[in-house]
Amino acid sequence: MTPEAAFDQYSQSVYRFVYRMTRREDVAEDIAQETFLALVRSPERWNAARGSMKTYLLAIARNLVLKRYRDYRAEEQLEEEIGIVPDPRPSLEIGTAVAGAIAELPGLQQEAVILFEYEGVTLEELAQIVAADVGTVKSRLHRARVRLRKSLAPYRTGVKAHGTV
Amino acid sequence: MEPFEKDELTDRELDGMLAQWKAPSAPARLKAAVFGERRLPWWRRLWSGSIRVPLPVACALVALVAIVAVAMARAPRVVVRTVRVEVPVVQERIVYRDRPAVAEAAWRPVRELRPRIIRGSNAQ
Repeated sequence: MTPEAAFDQYSQSVYRFVYRMTRREDVAEDIAQETFLALVRSPERWNAARGSMKTYLLAIARNLVLKRYRDYRAEEQLEEEIGIVPDPRPSLEIGTAVAGAIAELPGLQQEAVILFEYEGVTLEELAQIVAADVGTVKSRLHRARVRLRKSLAPYRTGVKAHGTV
Repeated sequence: MEPFEKDELTDRELDGMLAQWKAPSAPARLKAAVFGERRLPWWRRLWSGSIRVPLPVACALVALVAIVAVAMARAPRVVVRTVRVEVPVVQERIVYRDRPAVAEAAWRPVRELRPRIIRGSNAQ
């Protein structure tokens, strides 16, 4: 697969993933660009036997996001369990509430939810991307969903009614 | 206790809520940013291209240039002057003189050699 074909196929996925991890369009654009430039500069680094192009690109993007985290925050915050503070403001849009609830998750759970729920990667692909075993990512996903079920519960009525609270 | 404190969403409800968070699409300029420069001919890339230099390397290069500039400014100036010096030259001239031709017979070996010792004043 040529870098251009990979871009056409996966640029949206990479961009969306980085955007959801950072919640900033400018950062998403920068990191997506860096990701594909890495592919353009060294296309031979992708080994089809070790994973799909999508997992390869998402893994590069993930590393760049982590690098950004390291640059701007303490690394241990990724592992840290942050207490959930639900913000059941009646006027809050559900999408914003979901974004906020996911942002409250620890970093490793965030990336698991975003990749699995939004980018449709399988558990095996997710494990490849985050360099962990399938059991670990499954556990992260489970814990993330448990927390989200609680933190987003106040918005339930809104979903049933008309999409907003 | 808040009314929703013990409340939890079902898996289906959670999936429905997660779907509400939409991400924007990647801007069209992203492709140009990744592939734009590669399509230009090499001589145009020379004018518009850029390279990334790590900050320590850049600082070292700037410091090196500054040190060389200062060293060159402080070094004593060497002035090269051209002076014309007259050197006496001994001139020699080769003069050719006409000699009478020697007959071929004069170069024949002698039949009998008669050496004769002549004492000069230096022999004493």
